[in-house]
Amino acid sequence: MHVLPTERFKTFSISLFAGLPLAEETVTETALIPFVLRRGTEKTPETIAFRERLDDLYGAGFGFDVYKRGDAQIVQFRMDVINDKFVSADQPLLAESLKLLGEVVTAPALENGLFRDKYVEAEKDTLNKRLEAIVNDKIRYAAERCIEEMCAGEPYRLHALGQRADIASITPASLTEQYQRWLSTAAFDLYVVGDTTLAEVEQLVASAFRIPQGEPAGYSKSSDPRHVSEVNTVIERMEVNQGKLNMGLRTHTTYADDDYPAALLFNGILGGYPHSKLFLNVREKASLAYYAASRLDGHKGICTIQSGIEIGNFEKATAIIQEQLESMRAGNYSELETSQTKAMIANHLRELQDSAGEMIAYDFNSVLSGRDRSAEELLRQVQAVTNEQIAAVARKTELDTIYFLRDGKEA
Amino acid sequence: MEKLAYPGVQETIYREVLPNGLEVVVLPKDGFSKTYATFSTRYGSIDNRFAVGGEQQISVPDGIAHFLEHKMFEEPTGDIFATFASQGASANAYTTFDRTVYLFSATEQIEANLETLINFVQSPYFTDENVEKEKGIIEQEINMYRDNADWRVYFGLIDALYQKHPIHIDIAGTAESIGKITKETLYSCYETFYHPSNMFLFIVGGVDPEKVMELVRRNQAAKQFEAQGEIKRFIDAEPEAVRTPRKTAQLPVSLPKVLFGFKENRAPLASEALLRTEVATKLMLDTLLGSSSPIYHALYDDNLISDSFGHEFNSAEDYAFSVIGGETKDPEALLTRLRSAIEEAQANGLSEAAFERTKRKKIGSYLRLLNSPEAIAGEFTRYRFRGADLFKLVPVYEAITLDEANARLREHFSWDLMAVSIVSKDPA
Repeated sequence: MHVLPTERFKTFSISLFAGLPLAEETVTETALIPFVLRRGTEKTPETIAFRERLDDLYGAGFGFDVYKRGDAQIVQFRMDVINDKFVSADQPLLAESLKLLGEVVTAPALENGLFRDKYVEAEKDTLNKRLEAIVNDKIRYAAERCIEEMCAGEPYRLHALGQRADIASITPASLTEQYQRWLSTAAFDLYVVGDTTLAEVEQLVASAFRIPQGEPAGYSKSSDPRHVSEVNTVIERMEVNQGKLNMGLRTHTTYADDDYPAALLFNGILGGYPHSKLFLNVREKASLAYYAASRLDGHKGICTIQSGIEIGNFEKATAIIQEQLESMRAGNYSELETSQTKAMIANHLRELQDSAGEMIAYDFNSVLSGRDRSAEELLRQVQAVTNEQIAAVARKTELDTIYFLRDGKEA
Repeated sequence: MEKLAYPGVQETIYREVLPNGLEVVVLPKDGFSKTYATFSTRYGSIDNRFAVGGEQQISVPDGIAHFLEHKMFEEPTGDIFATFASQGASANAYTTFDRTVYLFSATEQIEANLETLINFVQSPYFTDENVEKEKGIIEQEINMYRDNADWRVYFGLIDALYQKHPIHIDIAGTAESIGKITKETLYSCYETFYHPSNMFLFIVGGVDPEKVMELVRRNQAAKQFEAQGEIKRFIDAEPEAVRTPRKTAQLPVSLPKVLFGFKENRAPLASEALLRTEVATKLMLDTLLGSSSPIYHALYDDNLISDSFGHEFNSAEDYAFSVIGGETKDPEALLTRLRSAIEEAQANGLSEAAFERTKRKKIGSYLRLLNSPEAIAGEFTRYRFRGADLFKLVPVYEAITLDEANARLREHFSWDLMAVSIVSKDPA
């Protein structure tokens, strides 16, 4: 349980994280659990009445997300409710919200001990639609296909929402069984940010959640990925107007490592910002793209590059990006590029505390990685990174996969 | 400098209109590390025919406001992003139908960043060469949106609803229209719409209002701006009927995306009435079609809608339309069901309990929005440009009666003023 007391916000923000190792056998059923849980609780089994309860709490925000961090599949429930002092609420809103979340997660609507058939079938359909819809957003689709190709031999290839082929065979019995396993074996972390105290939240949670017996679980370190022997180039065709060029790189550095701050600098100088090499060289100098950027997944140690380009410019854009990687390895970046990037990372780390959601996400990094590092500490470490340390990250970073989504016509 | 306190939302703003006409508002936020500032002009994609102070009318190519936004970031010394980065600020800009907004967010060197923001927006630098170079970048931005199904279905609907009003024009224009943009057309738009009297500066964060205001006063006093006459915008009268009742596009999507919209033809409203009508319509739509409504659940249970089903209402002085829909396996069945459910609601009226619950929900989500400096700056400016005040919304929500919402329910849905936009993988 993590409580971050503050008077900055007009709300209480609540997040509950539940993590299990990513595994082919369980990924789809685990992903389906929150979809079914949000349909109703033991006390309010009908969905419409459940939604009305949320509306009555001054439209409490309620949602969930399923994603991957390192080799874990995380289900996150979020609630956001107004601090009572702004409204004339007839019930204490934080207490009622925790009660509702506790019901959702630990006291769902069951019939004869199983999830309701109607909810399971409807949400199987919703999950299937979500998986099918990934292709609708070509930017996201290309990014996920690149990871899937790159991590073909690892659990990380799996989509956080699972696999379509597994959905049909899920039954209320199999899902209820997986739910119970999930409840007793997943790592659960509850966060509350707002004008409250740990003591108050502890007392509210004790009565709101039916917490199962047993040792609380934790997270294990992400598996060390293999080294690259040859760059894998994948070209896929579809009816698109714009080509999507994606690259996947293995940095061999994760959040828990001492050189993580240097990896942040590496990514920032390469493509994290509009002053970065990718934006300047692919967009501003060559006019090849509207977006050209890189992103670091610190829990998996993967850096990805993404850009939308004219289909005929594939070779040209790839060559420019490779040149930027080469200049990173050679340590070709100015004092200005380093100081600008440090200033941008510092700004981001200082801004965290202005958003309850960001505060929670940052703190959860230490739970996931097992490395406790406050934002202030990371900021100091980032300021102290030397050019040689950045080049060292660049030199051990390996380009693994080049993925290109292009038009449907065969050349 | 005038001080305005809003006890209901526990916020206080400081406001001043400078001698050159620039309006400045500062909102101090205790305990916040960051400062977020937006510098906005009342100039967007719909402003394509205009005249200043009795001069000759000018027509400009579609997409020019957005093009201008891109070009502002270039200075003779290079890209302004680099300057912001050196000062630890993250900067950006966006263009909508009726405004262009430049912004930064920073936790340090606030004064330097604020000066940079004001100065770069007030110093255009267009050359034949840099204008040509930008065309390649914006063409890729246009191509990116052409592949975006949500964007296509949304703008397809507006295009189906409106025949003349420039709201139906794509904000970024087309490859062809931006091909016609020159540095001369950019300068004439710039000089018209970036005059301080047409602009608004909003600063929110952990700042001292008097210090910030003094910085802006000094900055502006050091610059020369000739007084400018009133900007007149020309918009052809919009015919009552929709352009086309049905517009389709083909893209590789898993399920058809469908949006229904209803166009309203009405006399222009004063800002207070406009706001009240908008709020009443939004409450009506959410009570009727929101995620707690019986219609929503019936359609979800029958697999005709997914979580993506939603609704919105957009209105300004000279246009008003709703947008309803999401993805569905069967657009025709969805429309038939919606129509009968709406007609039933029109006959019976909304449930009072559901209406009151929706009100609470809307007030709650409004207060939640006030946690975010970005959202406050964006919404404050949006409301300011239409003569309303973001911080006075709670009483407006509270004042709307069930009768008003029911009146909107009966007025809004005219079936002959409806258009449908569909994006699907099948040919039309």
